[in-house]
Amino acid sequence: MSFLNPSNGAWSILALLVALLLVLVTFVKFTRLWTVILIALLPILGVWTFVKAPEWGLWFPKDVSTHGAGMDSLFNLILWMVAITFVLTEVGLVWCVFRYHDKVPGKSLFTHGSHKLEMIWTAIPAVALLVIAFAQIGTFKQIKFEDHWPTGGPYSKDKPIAHVIAYQFAWLMRYPDANGSFDSVDVIESPFDFVVPVDTDIMFQLKSRDVLHSFFLPNLRLKQDAVPGMTIPMWFQATEVGEYDLICAELCGWGHYKMAGRLIVKSKPDYEKWLADKRAALKSNGTADLEAAE
Amino acid sequence: MSDPQPLRGRLAIAAGLFGLLLAACDPEPPRPELHYTLSADSKQLLADYPAAQDQLLGTLGMLFGSPSNPRYAVPEEWIDDERNPNDAWAELSEARQAELVAANKKAFATPLAALERGEFAAVEPAREALDLQAAWGEIRAGYDEIAAAMEAGTKSRTDLDKYVAENKADAIALFTDWYPSLRESAEMYRTQCLHCHGINGDGKGSTAEFLNPTPRDYQRGAFKWTALNEKARPRRADLYGVLENGVNGTAMLSFKRFSATQLEGLVDYVRLLSIRGETERNLAREDAEEGFKIEAVQEAYLDVWSKWDKSAEFVIAYDGEIPEATPEVIEHGRVLYNDATGANCVSCHGVGGLGDGPSAKEPDPNGGPVPISKKDDWGNPLGPRDLTQGIYRGGDRPIDLYRRLYAGINGTYMPAHSTIKDPQGNRKVTDEDLWAIVHYVRSLSKGKRL
Repeated sequence: MSFLNPSNGAWSILALLVALLLVLVTFVKFTRLWTVILIALLPILGVWTFVKAPEWGLWFPKDVSTHGAGMDSLFNLILWMVAITFVLTEVGLVWCVFRYHDKVPGKSLFTHGSHKLEMIWTAIPAVALLVIAFAQIGTFKQIKFEDHWPTGGPYSKDKPIAHVIAYQFAWLMRYPDANGSFDSVDVIESPFDFVVPVDTDIMFQLKSRDVLHSFFLPNLRLKQDAVPGMTIPMWFQATEVGEYDLICAELCGWGHYKMAGRLIVKSKPDYEKWLADKRAALKSNGTADLEAAE
Repeated sequence: MSDPQPLRGRLAIAAGLFGLLLAACDPEPPRPELHYTLSADSKQLLADYPAAQDQLLGTLGMLFGSPSNPRYAVPEEWIDDERNPNDAWAELSEARQAELVAANKKAFATPLAALERGEFAAVEPAREALDLQAAWGEIRAGYDEIAAAMEAGTKSRTDLDKYVAENKADAIALFTDWYPSLRESAEMYRTQCLHCHGINGDGKGSTAEFLNPTPRDYQRGAFKWTALNEKARPRRADLYGVLENGVNGTAMLSFKRFSATQLEGLVDYVRLLSIRGETERNLAREDAEEGFKIEAVQEAYLDVWSKWDKSAEFVIAYDGEIPEATPEVIEHGRVLYNDATGANCVSCHGVGGLGDGPSAKEPDPNGGPVPISKKDDWGNPLGPRDLTQGIYRGGDRPIDLYRRLYAGINGTYMPAHSTIKDPQGNRKVTDEDLWAIVHYVRSLSKGKRL
């Protein structure tokens, strides 16, 4: 049960709390105590929502890929860095509000900047960015760099499992014919469903027919823009059989909200059977429709 | 903080903000009451009889209900036959019914698991399923009543367990055997289809004007992507196929993200809109002066229904194995494609299949120097398909292309090649010839697909 479901009573409680806050803001005279409490509420509520988010179903969906662990640990690293910075700056802010509220300590002091301070607040973010930059190299390389792309397995850059085509406003998967060729009249089209075998390195080519789209598999922590005119190779490995969302993560037009698909991870025999059924369907002479009518 | 705002002003601000917040958090916005309207064609036909317009709308309301509560009228003879089009579940084969039960089990996995555990409080049906929600609400109300009494101390845990045990099977059946009523499907249609296809199914929704090709107008009963000959009304499977796979190359996308049960329900509702639209057209054309007498209305209604009932007789199938696409067959297909006395595909689709043949356009009726696009039955500009793109709207299997060639495409200039006869009455383009053309056409797109 998601916290964001409007039929959940939690919404009403939150609304009441915010309304109460607004009434307070409107009526209470802003003494030092009230101001400090109000300002301090911001970081406290902010941190609290993060702590509670997994419970409310607002955290990451289940990770079912080999890329996921690296992506998640990077996310957590950045989240901790941001959280510490956020809390420290908020503490500073609350301290200033507490210390200097209502007080006119005399004439203001004019300064022309501080060299030392500027050095510090340039160096700290620079170090933070460097940490992130170095920390992400391994994961980024694994997902995007050519020398980490799968070779030797059934699917590679030259032998992709499918072409994934994005267009306004749908996903279309094209699988090769029985000889592995895409330049064939017998390619298999699978609208909406991207079917792949489990525990296999999957390499596919991403294309767009019209505008920018973004191929996003939240459960596999995989995202890549689809650019018209470009064929973009991508790879992943799914570790669990199941059905997962495939969504467009780039505002691509009025129907963007509808642009959904589905990643179906099947066991290897099931995948082969699915493919064989699809190939057999191309040979249909329509008599099955006659039988269905009787 | 110095705030000169008087108390009354602050009160007003606070009250306003409070009201806004409560409004924003209203969990169930009221559903709008929806109404069908007459199509532009009917209005034009009845322009001289303003009273007849209201009369027709009222008549149609009796036959089909409103978008908020759509319902077929059931004629007397159907009651004797125990036929009720409002109960589409009965039309499905047993195998299909079993598939839908399986689909329900998957779609309602979360509530069903909660029911199995006896956690009635955690069960939420889909929001579009209005009748399911109501039916579940009754079981739930009894549960909540006992739970409240338990809080108050008048009832015990065993009472609640007893209620759960008594109602569990019914509640589970409610979800597994769910089949959307027309009302529920109309609600689905409202959220998913209406913005293109319009409330009357006339293809004039608010997003329709951005689209080329334009969304299908169901009101003529003419559908292009069917497996049928002689422009027959579509079977359930034809409509279902379009919902399931979408129409490649158009804005009609695959709706597989909804369960098979929901899509079957949408098929029901699209059929209702189509039958309603065609009945409206026929009545507006023929019966305006007589004032829509009950016999005439019933006849028109049953007439449209009879077309839909017959559709299964028109399935096109090829008796035998599809010929292999050998180079000889493809070459034969190429010759037939370019044969001006036979299939004559080249006249519209052009020598290379680019859709640029000499008959692709027609001379400008206003005498302009540039030929203009022909129009389809719906009045939309229409060009022959560019066959080199490899985007086949009616399906990409060879049999789909075969059916397009065999029966033509409803509402367009694409002719039915099975009806082209020589003076002796023999078919000029045989089934084998059609397969050769199919293979040639497919070969045109080789390696160029996007």
